[in-house]
Amino acid sequence: MAEVVTFPSREPVDFVIIGSGAAGGVMAKELSTAGHSVVLLEQGPHLQAGDFKHDEWGYKHNGDLVWGRRQGHPQSFRKTENDEAVEREVCLGYAHNVGGSSVHFSGNFWRFRPIDFNEASVLGPISGTTFADWPISYDELEPYYTKVDWEVGVSGLQGPWDPPRSRDYPCPPMPVKSSGVILERAGKQLGYNPYPAPVAILSQPHNGRPACIHCGFCNGFGCEVNAKSSSMATMIPLALASGNCELRTSATVSRINTDESGRANEIVYWDAGGAQQAQRANAVVLCANGAETPRLLLLSESELFPDGLANTSGMVGRNLMFNGWSSAEGLFDEPINGHKSIPTTRVIHDFYSMDPSLGFYGGGGIDSRHSSDGLPMGSALGSGMFGGPRWGSEYKKLLQEEFTRTVAFHGHTTSLPQASNTVTLDHNLKDKWGRPALRTTYADHPDDISTMHFFQDRSVELLDAAGAIKINRIPIGEQEGNVHILGTCRMGNDPDNSVIDRFNRSHDVPNLFMCDGSSLVTGGRGQPTMTIMALAFRAADYIIGAARRNEI
Amino acid sequence: MERKLSRRAFLRVSSDAARGSCFALSMPMILSACRRAGEAAIKEEEFLNLSEEEVVEYSAIAARIIPTDETPGATEAGVIYFIDQVLGQDREQERLILQEGLKELQIATGLKFAGFYFHELDEFQQDQLLHEIEDTEFFGTIRYLTIAGMFSSPEYRGNRDNIGFDLLGFEDRHAWAPPYGYYDADYAEKGE
Repeated sequence: MAEVVTFPSREPVDFVIIGSGAAGGVMAKELSTAGHSVVLLEQGPHLQAGDFKHDEWGYKHNGDLVWGRRQGHPQSFRKTENDEAVEREVCLGYAHNVGGSSVHFSGNFWRFRPIDFNEASVLGPISGTTFADWPISYDELEPYYTKVDWEVGVSGLQGPWDPPRSRDYPCPPMPVKSSGVILERAGKQLGYNPYPAPVAILSQPHNGRPACIHCGFCNGFGCEVNAKSSSMATMIPLALASGNCELRTSATVSRINTDESGRANEIVYWDAGGAQQAQRANAVVLCANGAETPRLLLLSESELFPDGLANTSGMVGRNLMFNGWSSAEGLFDEPINGHKSIPTTRVIHDFYSMDPSLGFYGGGGIDSRHSSDGLPMGSALGSGMFGGPRWGSEYKKLLQEEFTRTVAFHGHTTSLPQASNTVTLDHNLKDKWGRPALRTTYADHPDDISTMHFFQDRSVELLDAAGAIKINRIPIGEQEGNVHILGTCRMGNDPDNSVIDRFNRSHDVPNLFMCDGSSLVTGGRGQPTMTIMALAFRAADYIIGAARRNEI
Repeated sequence: MERKLSRRAFLRVSSDAARGSCFALSMPMILSACRRAGEAAIKEEEFLNLSEEEVVEYSAIAARIIPTDETPGATEAGVIYFIDQVLGQDREQERLILQEGLKELQIATGLKFAGFYFHELDEFQQDQLLHEIEDTEFFGTIRYLTIAGMFSSPEYRGNRDNIGFDLLGFEDRHAWAPPYGYYDADYAEKGE
């Protein structure tokens, strides 16, 4: 390990990166190993493998990773801008730690497909939406997906079901679980093409990290052996080893300042002790996620930027997308034991693009998991799902019957961008620092709901084909929050209706880059993290070149 | 990198597993659990936040949500200790819901069974009262906390001796290897 580098705050570093998650971690590694001085600001702590535990209460119910009201970060929600926002514990959920949500996510790592980048021109406009093509193609992003595969670490099986790839996966697929076998057999019976789920979890040692030991605590938890390919486990150590990157944790950014010419030059933040600090920078890369990136831009309003920094388009915070989700669960005769090993091992992508003759837009994938991520408490809360009492001795019998023998087929689906779905500032609700809270305004597009129903119907058919003895449809409701926080600083060629250009550079502020879920033009089919990392590798490549050419 | 291959939390399961749980009810199973623990005394300082009345009443409700029957229930798992602990952790809202709800339940108890506390009723009477309130926020909250105390990590003072985990068929291990279940074993055997 290189010596820990520290930079004086009054002298500009080459880059300040705000946020150390899926994108920020990649960005820190790329820029620092290219020789640039980097200060990486992260509002949470630097938790590492040895800090994580199998603590369902703490992580899933107490906000230990995903902070909310109790940690001083309340949020609010409203369906439309005419409604009054109601305070929520958490509405847009993300992990507050080095590595961000790449630490506690499921590890599902689907690439987007070529159609995701030009679907609007293939299908035509959809009324009430801002559905648009990306300014880049799959082919332009493919080398960076491959970079993610190899540098971050992905397990999977190359095959005809896969989007085109220039290089095979570095690790073979994870061993199939009973839940995967059930989906695979049912899928084949119905004429579909089930295949091994690509995951950011190592099936064999790679890049000095060990293989997964199948403990079962992936989704919502940090990996205790570093087998999950979070940016914390993969990128941050390389950034710190470069000797060019200073990581400052418990650093909460309050605003980005600009000089008279409108260039970002200073980042103001509260340090761990609550004292205000300011770090000078030659350029800023904002990777704070689809909620905090627009919020920070809006908080950074000034005389020069009265509607918020980098927001002359008025698009900062707009086009919020979640990804649709629907599920059906089935009870089987024999033990499935979904609590062992990774969340999902098989996926069906035969409905990636649905037939437009159905009358609504949509698409997605189906994977098979335990109904409650294999977690004891979550399962017990949901038990009795096939009918029956929710407490008492009979309920207790259901618990014993259901925990080991249920499987859920989840549909992960599209979410159309709508300008009216937003992240804004709630001036009536303050966080612990006195900043206006995150306010979410969101209503699903009717096509998103239709798509969820379509996928649930397919899941039910699959469960039936698989021989489930009982089947339950989880009610499909309107979404009021999510952990996929996408589209709120969208990429585009036109500065009038997008926030960043095709290389993630702000249209308005030449030395400000945004890269995270907010960059996405469309939300894909439910697993955005790999695309966020690929975009970060691509943007970093461009930034390094531009810095060399003195074009930042 | 140091790796934790065993659960720190499990080491903390205290020998007082059943000791504190036995004062509110007098079912034979619980008494025998108390005897096993070798101590029947209640230590007041063991409760950090709940009043004695809350302790006995919430315990009685929890014991109907996850009863003691052929297998141990909320009482043996020490669910009340979990509730006591987490209510002190910035959960004023839930605390108020419980306190208000308990008052209402006690009023309903008095109307039906004059002169009795909820915990003094028999199981049938208790269930009768709980069925009437099962859609309330109060019942939802105490059900949530009972289940949480039954199935969360023992480091939060519930789920003693992994009673909750055992009930589900969940084993908290750090490593598994295939086959995980019946279907993948069958798949491997058939060479699919």
